[in-house]
Amino acid sequence: MQDIKRVLLTGGGTAGHVNPALAIGSIFTGSKTRFLFVGTRGRVEENVVPREGIPIKFIRASRYPGKYSPETIKFLLHLLIGSFQSLFILLRFRPEVIIGTGGYVAAPITIAAAILKNTRLSKARIFMHEQNAVPGKLNRVMGRFADKVFVTFPETLSYFPENGTLVGYPLRKTISRIAREDALQKIDFQIPEGRKAVLVFGGSQGSRNINRALIDALEYLLPYRDSLFIIHGVGLADKREYNAMEDTKTRLQQTYSREQLREIETFYTHKPFFYHIEHIYALCDLVVARAGAGSLNEISAMGLPALIIPKSNLPGNHQVMNARSMERAGAVEILYEQITPIQNKLTEIIDGKILADRLLSILQSDEKLKNMSHLSRSFFNQDALIRIEKHIDAERTIEPGNNLVLLGNMEDLRLPNDHSLLLRLEKEAEKHRHDYKPERIVPRAQDLEYLKNRACALLLRPSWRYRNLGIKLLGLLGAKEKIPVILEILFERKPVPWFKKLLGGDYEQVGFIRRNIFTTLIRLNEFSPEIEKALLAGLSDPYYEVRAQAAHAVAVFGSRLASPETFVSEVKKLLSDPHVDVVLASAEALGQIGGERDALPALLEMWDSRLWKVRAAVLRGILHLVKRGAISNPDIIEEQAAKFILTSTDFRPHFEIKAVYRHLMELVAAEKEKRIVR
Amino acid sequence: MIYFLGRLLQQKWPELFSFLRLVDYLSARAFGAALTAIMLTLLVTPIFIRFLHRRGYVDQWRSIGIASPPEKAGTPVMGGVIIVGCVLVSCLLWCNLTNAYLMSVLSAMMFFGIIGMIDDIAKAQRKSGDHGLSESSKLLLQAGFAVVFMLYLASPFSPLPEAQAGTFYIPFYKAPLFDSIWFYLPIVFFFVIVVGNSVNITDGLDGLAIVPSVFVIGVLGIFGYILGRSDWAHFFLYPYFPNAGELAVFSAAFIGAGIGFLWFNAYPAQVIMGDTGSLAIGGCMAVLSVVLKQEALFLILGGLFVAEAASSQIQDKVGIRWLGRRIFLRAPLHHAMQHKGLAETKVVVRLWITAGILALIALSTLKLR
Repeated sequence: MQDIKRVLLTGGGTAGHVNPALAIGSIFTGSKTRFLFVGTRGRVEENVVPREGIPIKFIRASRYPGKYSPETIKFLLHLLIGSFQSLFILLRFRPEVIIGTGGYVAAPITIAAAILKNTRLSKARIFMHEQNAVPGKLNRVMGRFADKVFVTFPETLSYFPENGTLVGYPLRKTISRIAREDALQKIDFQIPEGRKAVLVFGGSQGSRNINRALIDALEYLLPYRDSLFIIHGVGLADKREYNAMEDTKTRLQQTYSREQLREIETFYTHKPFFYHIEHIYALCDLVVARAGAGSLNEISAMGLPALIIPKSNLPGNHQVMNARSMERAGAVEILYEQITPIQNKLTEIIDGKILADRLLSILQSDEKLKNMSHLSRSFFNQDALIRIEKHIDAERTIEPGNNLVLLGNMEDLRLPNDHSLLLRLEKEAEKHRHDYKPERIVPRAQDLEYLKNRACALLLRPSWRYRNLGIKLLGLLGAKEKIPVILEILFERKPVPWFKKLLGGDYEQVGFIRRNIFTTLIRLNEFSPEIEKALLAGLSDPYYEVRAQAAHAVAVFGSRLASPETFVSEVKKLLSDPHVDVVLASAEALGQIGGERDALPALLEMWDSRLWKVRAAVLRGILHLVKRGAISNPDIIEEQAAKFILTSTDFRPHFEIKAVYRHLMELVAAEKEKRIVR
Repeated sequence: MIYFLGRLLQQKWPELFSFLRLVDYLSARAFGAALTAIMLTLLVTPIFIRFLHRRGYVDQWRSIGIASPPEKAGTPVMGGVIIVGCVLVSCLLWCNLTNAYLMSVLSAMMFFGIIGMIDDIAKAQRKSGDHGLSESSKLLLQAGFAVVFMLYLASPFSPLPEAQAGTFYIPFYKAPLFDSIWFYLPIVFFFVIVVGNSVNITDGLDGLAIVPSVFVIGVLGIFGYILGRSDWAHFFLYPYFPNAGELAVFSAAFIGAGIGFLWFNAYPAQVIMGDTGSLAIGGCMAVLSVVLKQEALFLILGGLFVAEAASSQIQDKVGIRWLGRRIFLRAPLHHAMQHKGLAETKVVVRLWITAGILALIALSTLKLR
């Protein structure tokens, strides 16, 4: 790469974009090579790049705010201005190679470069590098203008089918691997022999969730303190809301007694920051970390097994996607942050016991650790820079071979989005009413776990429609562990503003959500005292569909109720509810939970209800009573049921020609089956 | 055509064709139109039904909406083509085509009917009830027509007398509520769009939409006849709209076509009107009402359509999309009745009765002023 004279680097916003750009820039080692970095003011690059001695120019750029946002106009304006600025920069600097590593500053440059290229005013070659498994929307679009797109994860190739190339993550200083013994010399604490060392850290700033969870986990790790050693990188965070070291120390003091703390000290140490993390890497057996592309690459470079706790709710959920990519390869395991009700608020936390259990289960098997270590080492290409250099050097710009090989197993890697997932699961549930299993649609357990988590995250969205979707999905995915969260939503009862109340609104967790909570509880088929409380509350909900669904749930859970008498009296009240749906559900429910003395008379006296549907439901209720064996005197039923008015105002049509046609088609289909088998 | 022919022949050979004086009488022509329409419909429909089956223009399955039994899908759609077609032919035969009132109503029917037809064909070709013409394009086209119609009413080409251009009448009241073209035209705009779509919502059960439409257009035809005769208009204390009587012939044609359609559309239906029919009927009902200045009366006369459209929109826009709950038990109105346990046939007949009563009340407003 000696002969390339002018290189333009762009990429910024965060270190995750700037560092790779600088790393790739280091390939161009010609003595006369001139660099220019293009970034935006007030971001990381403004500080870092001049320190490297590279000239930097600034343009206007801003983040893509989404389709229908008021910011969209500002964004388009910035894009326009930025593109013009880029045009001038490109025309003056005339780079031969343009390297873009992402961040929204890359968009105007790429647009300008593409324009110049298409109008043949510039012969610059455009290369992009994507650090994450799932590229952002902007990068997906910009990638089409690039000569090549270098990707870090194999899945990313499916987003850039024509010009994507797998290279890995470009690191300037390759993490040098030093021997364990040497590393032991260089650290300032002792690790006793025969222990498995675990490094836990949440980035250079630290992670409050991880830190707190680890402290809580220590309680469950105490029994194993003779075979473990925990190295905790607390982080440098020193903000008003959270000071990492202080918070950690306080939590330790508050959670454990003096006695316990002494025991803890034998297998646990914490520090705010490790200046030579490679030393720690060299002597630990397992890492617990976040899923930034950079950290994952370091972990892979060291060939370490890892338990990854991705940070949720980031744009494009990129940490989760990166982690899942490595999980699929078997190199890491994932622990998701869980949404839990804490003091009546839903927050994302990591539970200490769960963390402890996962750690122990991974560390138990040496076989597993070795396997993961091996897979981890081979996951990322370690020679990213060399590959990039090769590709930039190459004369041809398209290399189909690379992609086709991996495209084979791309098919199952992309999971459906929440809406299509719902449709698929609902269809499956329709088809297999009695033996529905979500695993038939989502076979991999880790995928199911991920989808459950994603659905749970929907519960925190401001729009009720997404929360509703989340509730439905949780039911269909069989997420029994999320029941506390779901119940929390049911009991939230935050009222709507007055103007909505006028038109019939009640709570922020709208009627549909509350109704679907009961549908979900029925689907999940779990029962507990809390759920019983929820059922009772549902029977007196202001919205009629909720009352109906709650009554239906009472019928389903009938035999498991702890205090059916309370329910019988509540459900009886609903028999005179103004809404027909509620009456129908209550009549049947009464048949499932009531008895001869309390339920039967109430049902029998409805022999002349105005609507035939109600009378039919009442008869069904009585049917349930008989089936359950709650009737000691069948004569009463025979006598009283005869009174029921049987004239009906509705019927079910039977179209003879359609029935014959269906029968014929079924036979034909069966015949075809027989032929195939033969 | 017969009108012109009759006039021509009368002029040329008055003694020979004196009996053709009949063509001057609206009632005679109306009767002729109705008869032609019904005979034509009864003859043409079976052939057209077979044609629709051959081309595959049948009712498609929809992914949302009431769980309509799968038996419903497969009934030929676009019966509206027959209705519109037969009405058109009848009018061509029996009407005075120079009449401006008539032309505005006919053009509304054709325009809306074509929008509906594009929607139906799209749904049939894509084999899905969800993928017809998009909601917004339908509204856009209808709005376009409404705007043109508005301008037409304000222009000197309007069939209504100059003085009446901006008046707005309400039933039971002799004088107009206000007389301002600036307030009036926007009302017309919304009226046309809302009413134009209201029949579409009502067309959900076999036979439900056609009979109330016949009632509405029939009553409006009577109004047209009365308002078109200076003596009767004066007697009933209505403004006089010369030449509005021609609308009675149109109305009669529609009644004929409607009855002929009902012959096949009654439960279980052999053909349904589809968007072609419902939009066409809605369009011509709207223009008919506006052109006779009976917009407010429509709330009573077309009360069924108003109730169905209102319940559907409120349930959807206010309830399901905004508040996240159902406001009514079910919407539109006929679904609510079905949900409570009424068979389709019973719902239809009861709503016919309701529409009939409303039509009678509307007629009574002629006298109760």
